[in-house]
Amino acid sequence: MADSNQDEQISELKNKFQQRVISRREFIRMLTALGISVSAGGIFMDMASATEKSGNSEAQSGYTIIFDPAKCTGCMACAIACAEKYMQEIAPEQARHTINLEFSRIRPMRFQFVDFVNVCQYCELIKWAEGTEQHPCEAVCPTGALHRVKKGEGRGGYTGMGYMTVDRDMCLGIDTCGRCLEVCEDQFGSGISFDPIEGKAQVCTRCGGDPECVKACPEEALQFIPVQVNGRYYANNPDHAAELLYKKMFNKERAL
Amino acid sequence: MSAVYGFTGKIARIDLSAGSVSIIEPQEEVYRKYLGGWALGMYFLFKEGLAEPDKDPLGPENMLQLLVGPVTGIAPNPRTAIVTKSPYGFNCITLCGGQGGANLKFAGWDGIQIVGKADKPVYIAVIDDHIEIRDATEFWGMGTEEAEMAMRKKVLAPIETSGSTLTESDLTKKWAKLRPPKNQGIGGKRLASTWVIGPAGENKVWFANMVTEGARAHGRYGSGAVAGAKNLKGIVVRGTKGQKFADKKKFLQIMGNIQKREGTSHFWRTYGTAGASVHEANIVGGYPIRNWQWESWADPRTVKTLSGPFVDQMSFVRKQACPGCALHCLYPARISSYNEMMDETITDMPDWEAMGMVGGNIGYLEAEGTDPGDPYGGTFEDMTENAAKTQYTTWFSDNTGMDFIEGGALLGLLMELRQRDLIEPADLDGIDLKWGDLNSVKAVLEKTVAGEGIGAVLARGTYETARYLSRKKENDEIMYYSMTGKRYAQPAHGARSNHDRNALDYVTVVRPCEHTGGGSKAFMKNPIDYDGAVNGQNFNAAVNSMVYCLFASGFWGDEGNVELVKAVTGWNDFDKKDFLKVGERAYALSRLFNLRSQNIKEPRKEWDSPDMFPARWFKEPLPTGPYKGKTAFNGDTAKLFDECLPQYWAQRGWSRDKGIPEEEKLKELGIAGIAGNIAAKLRS
Ligand code: SF4
Ligand code: SF4
Ligand code: SF4
Repeated sequence: MADSNQDEQISELKNKFQQRVISRREFIRMLTALGISVSAGGIFMDMASATEKSGNSEAQSGYTIIFDPAKCTGCMACAIACAEKYMQEIAPEQARHTINLEFSRIRPMRFQFVDFVNVCQYCELIKWAEGTEQHPCEAVCPTGALHRVKKGEGRGGYTGMGYMTVDRDMCLGIDTCGRCLEVCEDQFGSGISFDPIEGKAQVCTRCGGDPECVKACPEEALQFIPVQVNGRYYANNPDHAAELLYKKMFNKERAL
Repeated sequence: MSAVYGFTGKIARIDLSAGSVSIIEPQEEVYRKYLGGWALGMYFLFKEGLAEPDKDPLGPENMLQLLVGPVTGIAPNPRTAIVTKSPYGFNCITLCGGQGGANLKFAGWDGIQIVGKADKPVYIAVIDDHIEIRDATEFWGMGTEEAEMAMRKKVLAPIETSGSTLTESDLTKKWAKLRPPKNQGIGGKRLASTWVIGPAGENKVWFANMVTEGARAHGRYGSGAVAGAKNLKGIVVRGTKGQKFADKKKFLQIMGNIQKREGTSHFWRTYGTAGASVHEANIVGGYPIRNWQWESWADPRTVKTLSGPFVDQMSFVRKQACPGCALHCLYPARISSYNEMMDETITDMPDWEAMGMVGGNIGYLEAEGTDPGDPYGGTFEDMTENAAKTQYTTWFSDNTGMDFIEGGALLGLLMELRQRDLIEPADLDGIDLKWGDLNSVKAVLEKTVAGEGIGAVLARGTYETARYLSRKKENDEIMYYSMTGKRYAQPAHGARSNHDRNALDYVTVVRPCEHTGGGSKAFMKNPIDYDGAVNGQNFNAAVNSMVYCLFASGFWGDEGNVELVKAVTGWNDFDKKDFLKVGERAYALSRLFNLRSQNIKEPRKEWDSPDMFPARWFKEPLPTGPYKGKTAFNGDTAKLFDECLPQYWAQRGWSRDKGIPEEEKLKELGIAGIAGNIAAKLRS
């Protein structure tokens, strides 16, 4: 076990790593130097034990997930990690024997020769222009089901630290509502999905500031980094994003 | 099937003539015996009576099956297997990676069987339990790349579609004024998988294939022609149900172990099969060069043209993996060329088979005016252009939906005949097909795809083309240049050096002339290790029945093949022997199928002829390389066919005279019921 001095050193390293001051390789090397055993190479964690451990690392607020399309191989490890974690929350009975990617809030989508990782980008409306500072989906939710969970509230490792979540009791579901996804696709991206059992909305909660997908990515294609407050992050519709990526990577246009 | 884990217990049977869908629910015992993919597909081909020689592969009676296995889904490295009767008359068992296998499982199916023939072009849309046969007129004629994307757009799960509920009143006033909602509802996600045929499949080119994700193909044996003959342009699958596991925790643990092992492979994680194969092939004497006249370039520098680092620097853009795979063997690429036609074409790598068959085999690599026995005379620019030619030909094949192994062999045959003045341009409708000439290659392939003029002959592949030309020219010598085994193209692995594949390997594999038989190393031992060879073959056939990637099988090991199956299915007594038995069953069934469907009465006699295996293997010593002077089996075909082959058959428990699985063997394998009659007929 690490003593408390070591704990501090680890958390400092972790901060540096998350802020990309040091690389993952350096991070692991330094941890090893501290006598902490780290699984080799960072390739695919052991998800069975990872889920048990989740919630133990330090949560960050005001961070976002970004994805590097040149590194991502479309392997879906992020989605499997997310689905496994949240299916247990939403449908524990079915989750005993099942893994279903529909419970994942992050979905790599394979277009042709490009993969786009679709996850909520936490876009914010701007007060002087749009009359509110809410997230667009949050703003149109008629019941308040889609809401932010304040620091100090929520469930560690799952919700909180200012990130959104959906109150499933209040959500009207895709059959009668779906406004959250509609406004997202209408003007931003496609950050909401609906669970396949009750059809209630799901949004990336950033695992309350300690996202599972980032840890699961074997290619270092996902990063959890502090949002720079110099404007706003925009989501993209997956098909539009894929077309852009295709153009950028291959210098050709293709309807995807 | 009752307690269903891993499997879904259901196979959809779609009759395109009747426009109907029914459900087959195999007994658990069937799954235990055959697992999925190859073995399960053969079982159904027998049940369907498709082994009978009068059943037309391109008729409505043929059945096209798309099958997965017990762990396909969340487990790493999933594939799909297509099992049907090949236009060539033998079995067609062909696997392919991508996300489709997982999607099919998530939709609740262990497979799809398609029989009959639609009266107009159709595609099949599978959204979970819901299966529709839809009009595909608008996609007919499209290349695979375009067709796949256009078709996929049309298939969304109910939770991805809904009408508009959003109104301006849901927005703030300012916001509504700036950007009122467009009232389009939802539908921006793309999560379905699609298999399509290209124009080659539509026109029933015998070696047409089915393609997914732009460049992944169920490459060999002509599955695309079977689909085309059914007027089936494609299959789109979107699954939302997930997969069930008996012991999920154990499953996740084993999955993590496999992935960690994969993550240590520098070979795969660097350039995939582009990494080492070209050098290795040149050194082991296994590079197809100008229709196998050479198997090594005298100057090894020639292979730099297609080496991993070189093509990476000129064209690779990124890496792509199948689900859960840390090997990521596919590299989408953008061609860099000084030739406008090729420049900026988007394709994948080329992988090794392409480097061989539409690279060396058709004379793309040598500098002009030199032959493979000369020092490399080219420049850096030549290398770039020549690599681009291989990539462009790969792209052309993928986009028209054609196997470039058979295609490359066909081109190699025609080019060598031209080299030797055995044919003239008039025989190819005026095309002067010379080594390395991309424009004439393209012209010949275009004719083949369209089935126009001489293309109608070429569309039946290498062997039939050689036969046609030898009759037309009244010259038997032409058959000598058909580099085909059992009437099917030799892939990019040599048979003469005894360090790549050997002749016995090619003679014994039940997927005609396949290069992934699994027995290669043991076959090349001295003395031949028959036991090891049979085990290796059974192993690969079992992997193809589990329907996961052969490249990954080394990283799975027994933990993957046995423990993972147990964790997924809950079959706690499943062991390594059971696993290998599945492969053995697949082998015996496929063997019987091929003998019956082609009406072969005396296999030894019929195959021991220069028409059935390339005489070049036995007669022509390798002219260059470390194995210079070698021929296959030292030219001793009597040893191969009269000594080794019977011994191999005996090792399998098959009869020494014809290689028919003995009654005892069929009983031991539990397949006497479905294949016993055919075996008895063949024996007599
Ligand atoms: S991406 Fe979509 S779901 Fe995420 S904040 Fe923006 S509108 Fe909401
Ligand atoms: S579907 Fe649920 S979360 Fe989305 S807007 Fe409607 S009520 Fe709110
Ligand atoms: S885990 Fe990483 S590499 Fe794999 S799909 Fe997700 S982002 Fe891409």
